[in-house]
Amino acid sequence: MRLQLSEEDAAFQQQMREFFTTKVPADLRERWAAGGEPAADDIRLAQKTLNDAGLAVPHWPTEWGGQEWSQLQRHIYLQEMQAASVPPPLAFNANMVGPVIATFGSQEQKERFLPGTASLDIWWCQGFSEPNAGSDLASLRTSAVLEGDEWVVNGQKTWTTLGQHADWIFALVRTEPDAPKKQMGISFLLIDMKTPGITVRPIQLIDGGHEVNEVFFDNVRVPADQLVGERGQGWTIAKFLLGNERVGVAPVGSIKRKLADAKAYAAATKSGEGTLLDEPLVAARLAELESQVAALELTVLRVAGNSKEGKPDPASSILKLRGSQLQQDVLEFIVDIAGSASLEWASTSDSDGSDLATWTGHATPTYLNFRKASIYGGSNEVQRSIISSGILGLKG
Amino acid sequence: MDFTYDDEQKALQQAVRDLAGRNAPVEQQGDQPVGPAKHDPKVWSALAEMGLIALPFAEDLGGADASAVEVAIASAELGRARVATAYAEALVAAQAIALAGDDQQRKELLPPLLEGESLVVPALSEPGRAWSLDAYDVTASGAEGAVTLSGTKEPVPFADAAERFVVSARVGDKTGLFVVEASDAEVSGQRVKLSGTPAKALGALDDAPAALAAAVNLGILTVSAEALGAMDAALPMTVEYLKTRKQFGVPLAAFQTLTQRAADMYVSVELARSTVLFAAMRLAEDAGDSETASRLKAVTGQSGRHVGQEAIQLHGGIGMTAEYAVGHYTARLTAIEHTFGDTRHHLARLAAGLRDHEQVEVLAG
Ligand SMILES: Cc1cc2nc3c(=O)[nH]c(=O)nc-3n(C[C@H](O)[C@H](O)[C@H](O)COP(=O)(O)OP(=O)(O)OC[C@H]3O[C@@H](n4cnc5c(N)ncnc54)[C@H](O)[C@@H]3O)c2cc1C
Repeated sequence: MRLQLSEEDAAFQQQMREFFTTKVPADLRERWAAGGEPAADDIRLAQKTLNDAGLAVPHWPTEWGGQEWSQLQRHIYLQEMQAASVPPPLAFNANMVGPVIATFGSQEQKERFLPGTASLDIWWCQGFSEPNAGSDLASLRTSAVLEGDEWVVNGQKTWTTLGQHADWIFALVRTEPDAPKKQMGISFLLIDMKTPGITVRPIQLIDGGHEVNEVFFDNVRVPADQLVGERGQGWTIAKFLLGNERVGVAPVGSIKRKLADAKAYAAATKSGEGTLLDEPLVAARLAELESQVAALELTVLRVAGNSKEGKPDPASSILKLRGSQLQQDVLEFIVDIAGSASLEWASTSDSDGSDLATWTGHATPTYLNFRKASIYGGSNEVQRSIISSGILGLKG
Repeated sequence: MDFTYDDEQKALQQAVRDLAGRNAPVEQQGDQPVGPAKHDPKVWSALAEMGLIALPFAEDLGGADASAVEVAIASAELGRARVATAYAEALVAAQAIALAGDDQQRKELLPPLLEGESLVVPALSEPGRAWSLDAYDVTASGAEGAVTLSGTKEPVPFADAAERFVVSARVGDKTGLFVVEASDAEVSGQRVKLSGTPAKALGALDDAPAALAAAVNLGILTVSAEALGAMDAALPMTVEYLKTRKQFGVPLAAFQTLTQRAADMYVSVELARSTVLFAAMRLAEDAGDSETASRLKAVTGQSGRHVGQEAIQLHGGIGMTAEYAVGHYTARLTAIEHTFGDTRHHLARLAAGLRDHEQVEVLAG
């Protein structure tokens, strides 16, 4: 056990802080901090800036742009990035398909895809879920049939985040319909979104935003060399990917950033002769959230140190479960601080005709939008099942 | 104490349910609009024609001589059908006029408001300020007969559809109520800018705080009942979904972790129902019972948050979409939580009065 950062880690922290706050344009970071629907170009520019400095994919193998950092340094890196409101590298690229290709892909696939995946010259989206395959992902039905040296894909994916910007989709498809177990018939396929037969239809969410889509495949022909790993290995790959997703998903730095914002908002909101921060119930809630977030951060640090050979510690489910809860709690608290000002939405009102602080107009839509955090990436119910069966040995 | 509706109340409930059904957003027909509700003159006329705005006011004021109980019954039906209107706002304005206004003001202002001809809404919130019944940054000046108001009120829900406002404004160290014609103010969206804007004092300055508190109490009851209606719809939708949605080869209802949470939602809804019905009866007797109103807002606020969040969660992704109703209920419940003071505001108000009683008594002696 050791409390202080080593001199080396403290210097690393300083270096990261300086990079994120000076090399990523301030206006871009301000837009990201303000919330609302993120602009694709901001995400592109941020990732390119990071990648040019070797900071987009530090957890990848070094030959593909990774860094030989300790777990603690990775945490510091993420922490500083989120504290500076830098859009993180696109998760579909950096945390999902990149590590998959690096681990399961052929040499040719690595050379073809990894550089563009790190730089975001290729924007990936995730084609896993289907209308009838959500938590029960293995029941997916989108099919791929080999004809000559092409897979012919038919079916439908849904909830495809930012699919409207994507150049490529990584999809789970059923290639062996007769496999004895449904998990055994699935393969992992890389598909160019420009291939004829693909249609993208937007889904509007309750905050009014368009971030998810349905993706339809109608006789889409995919070259056979775009299948990753072995035929029928898709489920193993998906489990590897979802495990990584879980670890990457506790956004402690951005929760802390938001909570600090919440405190500033409370201090800036007049209440009687003082401010909302002087109200005992508001202050108590803030103190409660700060303690809970600190406990989560400490757990992230402790658990990250335990993952073995890239295999996530089952305790990483704590991070997804508690991380999404706290993220939601903080956003809920921000709506409460906005109070009646939260009744006006930035997206539906005209800002010139308003005296309200900008953040209040994002409070409600952002709160509603982040109800997603306990649904995607393995819902909180699924995380609890992993904890109860995987850790506690309680087979449900 | 008796929580059952009499025949007339049942008939009212059915009539409003039919009306709301005719004006409800049509399900499964593409995306429903998101965000704050917009004023719909057609729906508003229908409400007025049925006499819903007039319900709690005396006949000699153009009212229907019913009570807060009937308001709660009607509002719950609107909430159930997701018909979001200026109902609560109009009732607050009307109650303020009825309680604070002089005879002439009541005769002039109330009938067109209750008949749905001219919308009056309260302008109470001030930008950069937490919810309060006291005004701080909008001030009144000038002698009787030549009063003007200066400062900004925002957000003022339905401001862009209103003909006039009931505005709270600072007078020395007191808060008074004033009537302002929309045409005299600078209105954009939900902002009402006043700069030397002519205004008429609503009754005597010293009567204003009590009248405003009672008016907002009626608003709290109206939105809380609407929240009850929304919960009453969101729960069965969720139950139905658990029965029909299949994952892992079984309906979601096979997972006890989900059915137990539906049971918790039911508990929340029923606690809210008891509290709404009780508060309706109490406020019908004493419109100024702010303690009951605060307790009501706190209970329905917590229930609404619980039921709204769980309704989405138990639906999974589909609950997040603009096409499917359940997320809209959650959005409306969230808005209601931040209307007329949130749970924390009302808990603080109750906390300030804890020493005034040993226990909370619900049975009137
Ligand atoms: C905003 C958003 C973005 C998304 N982005 C993507 C994306 O980019 N790519 C992609 O492939 N997918 C994406 N998803 C899909 C997401 O992964 C699924 O929504 C998730 O897997 C849940 O599936 P479902 O929505 O079908 O809910 P269901 O699986 O139908 O679940 C409904 C409810 O039942 C619970 N439940 C289900 N099974 C069990 C069980 N066995 N025990 C206990 N409880 C259970 C769930 O936790 C949930 O509460 C996204 C979803 C959202 C909302």
